[in-house]
Amino acid sequence: MEQIIFNGLFLGAQYALIALGLTLIFALMNVLNFAHGQMYVLGGYMTYLVYGHLGLPFYLGLLASAVTLLIVGALIEKFLFRPVIRKSVREESTMLLAAGLAFFFDAVLLLLFGQKQHGVPKIMDGIFKIKTETIRLIVPNDRIAIIVLAVVLIVAFILFMQYSKPGRAMRALAQDRMAAQLMGVSVERYGMLGFALGAMLAGVVGGLLVAITGVSSGIGGPISIKAFLMVMIGGAGVVPGAIAGGFILGMLESVGLTTLRDYGDITYLVIFAALMIFLSIRPNGLMGKPWG
Amino acid sequence: MSKKFLFGVAVFLLIMLVLVPQILLATDRKDLMSVATSIALNSIIAAGVWLTFYIGRINIGQGAFALLGGYVSAILIVHYDVSFWLSLPLAGLACAVASVLIGLPILRLRGVYFAMVTLTLTEVGRLLAQALSLTGGPKGITNIPPPGALEFFGLTIIPDFAELENLRLGYYYLAVVLMIICFAGMWRLVNSRLGFLCRSLQQNEELASSIGVNVTHLRVLAYAISSFCGGIGGAVFASIVQSIYPNTFPIQESVNYMLYCFLGGLNYVFGPMLGTGVLYLGWDFLFILGQYQLLVYSTILIILILFLPNGLLSVRLPGMKRV
Amino acid sequence: MKTKNFLSLVAGLALTMSPTAFAANDTLKIGFVGVTSGAKAAWGISNVRCMQTRAKWINSEGGVKIGGKTYDIEIITWDTQDNTTRAREGMEKMVQEGIHYVVGPNTDPTAAAVRPVAEKDGVMYFPYAFPKELYSQPASNAVLGMIANYQSGPAIYKHLKENNGVKSVAFLAANESDALSQRAGGVSAAKHLGLKIIAEDAYQSDTRDFAAVVTPIVEEEPDLLVLSGVAGGTAPLIIRAARELGYEGFISAETAQDAEQLKEGAGSLANGFISVGGASTPEIRSAKMEEFIRRYTEDHGKYDDESNTKVYALEYILETLKANPTAIDDVDVFQNAMDDFEAPNPFIKGDAKLRYVGSTSFGQKRQVGVPMVVTEYRDGKFETLFVTNVD
Repeated sequence: MEQIIFNGLFLGAQYALIALGLTLIFALMNVLNFAHGQMYVLGGYMTYLVYGHLGLPFYLGLLASAVTLLIVGALIEKFLFRPVIRKSVREESTMLLAAGLAFFFDAVLLLLFGQKQHGVPKIMDGIFKIKTETIRLIVPNDRIAIIVLAVVLIVAFILFMQYSKPGRAMRALAQDRMAAQLMGVSVERYGMLGFALGAMLAGVVGGLLVAITGVSSGIGGPISIKAFLMVMIGGAGVVPGAIAGGFILGMLESVGLTTLRDYGDITYLVIFAALMIFLSIRPNGLMGKPWG
Repeated sequence: MSKKFLFGVAVFLLIMLVLVPQILLATDRKDLMSVATSIALNSIIAAGVWLTFYIGRINIGQGAFALLGGYVSAILIVHYDVSFWLSLPLAGLACAVASVLIGLPILRLRGVYFAMVTLTLTEVGRLLAQALSLTGGPKGITNIPPPGALEFFGLTIIPDFAELENLRLGYYYLAVVLMIICFAGMWRLVNSRLGFLCRSLQQNEELASSIGVNVTHLRVLAYAISSFCGGIGGAVFASIVQSIYPNTFPIQESVNYMLYCFLGGLNYVFGPMLGTGVLYLGWDFLFILGQYQLLVYSTILIILILFLPNGLLSVRLPGMKRV
Repeated sequence: MKTKNFLSLVAGLALTMSPTAFAANDTLKIGFVGVTSGAKAAWGISNVRCMQTRAKWINSEGGVKIGGKTYDIEIITWDTQDNTTRAREGMEKMVQEGIHYVVGPNTDPTAAAVRPVAEKDGVMYFPYAFPKELYSQPASNAVLGMIANYQSGPAIYKHLKENNGVKSVAFLAANESDALSQRAGGVSAAKHLGLKIIAEDAYQSDTRDFAAVVTPIVEEEPDLLVLSGVAGGTAPLIIRAARELGYEGFISAETAQDAEQLKEGAGSLANGFISVGGASTPEIRSAKMEEFIRRYTEDHGKYDDESNTKVYALEYILETLKANPTAIDDVDVFQNAMDDFEAPNPFIKGDAKLRYVGSTSFGQKRQVGVPMVVTEYRDGKFETLFVTNVD
């Protein structure tokens, strides 16, 4: 049981981080970023190159992932999304752009890094064990390190959004674009910053998880889709929603995989069906803004 | 209807029913004949997605209905010996009924929520097909026979596909005729009172509701028509490849149908047809690039959307009527 | 690595632009219809690379002689994207190109989808998909390009049962057609051997962190954990998760794996992992196979074990054509020749033969005969556990 809860928390922390970036981009620009998973993969490869390939320290790998995605995100916003949003009649049109980008990243990643799964040396050896009569928990130390880092990142992000000037500006933009603009918030500047930050989050979590699950060029699409699910559970465009959605999905998977396995391969069928029912009852997720 | 428009329709019919097949036959391009068939079928499925866009919903769940249609037709043909020609409308109807049941709750969702819930629907469809025994589980249904003859009081209206000299041509005509019916229907719908009401939903549901439009009925009706199209397309696809598996219409396909609509232009009835044609053929022509196919394809896609964010049809060509 | 790949990208683009080199020989086109993009890209890419490496090699030596004529081999490839419609169109494309011999597809649904076209238009195809109906009567155009899991699975379970006292088995597969079918095949084989099945689980194909998936299985402590139809990239993730949770039994797979990926993804935790290797081991491979590996590595960077099997399909096609020149555009001749076809196996030392097999599984010879090499992973390398044959 303890093991299941830890597994769920661990999955949840990963998911929450992935969902954060996606929801940030959505909140600021109403863009459903289909290429989010691919950005995660790119981040994973940057850490792989720096830490796994060049043998530099892990944190430098994470830094490389963060910086690369920050730049890539900013450029994509400025030169692709901004003009398209300006010109399109219906704002959903950005979905085509996002999907095109996802294909583009898929192609580039495959050509540059090949089709093989890549992993890096463990960032930390050893295994943490508790084995008493009531509690049985086995957790490798590197997983503990990663979950601590993930939680630190989530908290840092919340603090940044809550108290820093850009954070407040972005929240204002997300809440009421028009009012924020009238109050002198630069939509262009903070839109770009938000997109870059969202991309950076995807990259950092990609880099973090290379240490546990490796990276492979074809996994971007499925990761985006999973991130959509989490955002949907919590409610699109709200930071606490993304975090809640991530943890809920993680826990559902962990508990479902244990309790539903006796009934055949229906765990995910049940989870997805439950999700659809949940959303029919709460059309904006747990705490989403009413008009996604 | 202006003379110009009727003339355009006549030219289009002539191209699709006579010119294209004749040219392909004369040049013996079997592969393009199948590609053309796929395009016609995909445009039918995408037309359904387009209709949901028309009432202001982003639909990424059409794969689920294509899958359902394919399975209904396959099960009827293989297990119950039903003729393909009967199974086809039944597949569409089954999808329409299912979509009413699913649509009633989920059509209350909007924006990305509807998009994501339909995305989930595609995956639910796949997992369900995999879990049930009626659908053959993970092994799917294979060896679906091609359509038999359609007879009416002893008069053969459509010959047995198995005895056709050119099976590809048979499927081409089947797909194209269905596509023409589908788009004629769509065009009629959009230019009717119903279409007007749909547009009012797209702009503002609350307002539409306040002036007495029965929003719920209208949404469900549009979604049912949309799913009907998906089911028809899926059923014909299953018949062509003579098999259907749980992942025959994966999430990727659902996303593609949506992209076809976007590329063609969301405000144009014939957008999905054009979008499907361009994206589908584009991919095929880039085949010569080998491993760089996806790279070039996606680059072109990005450039297209950068310059034509409102779809290809937003370029005003002479004689092209905005609907 | 990054720069090298980038350079090859640029070079490749340049190549694509330049007109095809002038060739004095006639061209013999062989097709490939399989998945080379997306999550399953690894499966098809190793196929394509094997074919291209071998074709380039043959061409550099002046081509292949079939019926008094010399041909240069040209490989025409098509990416199915693991999509049935695209797969069918790929086969149509091959027909259009006048191709009669195609390698692929790589998955059950795509293999089923190309079947109608292949049978109608006279194409022999060599899928890497396991459904028996593709290879049994009345089907006649498909030739299984590798060893099926229902052939290798029983051999592995039997070996472990007899030599290591394995009594209970747990099966784990991706929640999708191919893997679930293979899981079903494995389960029935294990039951047949009198092993106790204690778990049949499945995971979503997009799973990256397997701790939650394997926790309940590890708690049941099976003697053997079988990863049915597991992809090369996924195996190290599962192994690592299971071992870190304290699983101590055997882990095996019936699909070919990649030592490099296992090493990077699971390190020493993967030691002892049993899989069906490519059809070649250092002990049995010939000088020609060494040469192939050298050329492959030169063109594509790293070699992978799976390619030891995938080198064969093209070789079988060419050798059968050499023996029956009229089959070059008549697959009936090819089919008739398959029963008695025999040629020296160039990739294996000694007097091994290329022979079509499959009578036991399919009732007709519709499988390429390659050695079934069962390997055990140890410290970055596969060590041969035992070698046997399929009939």
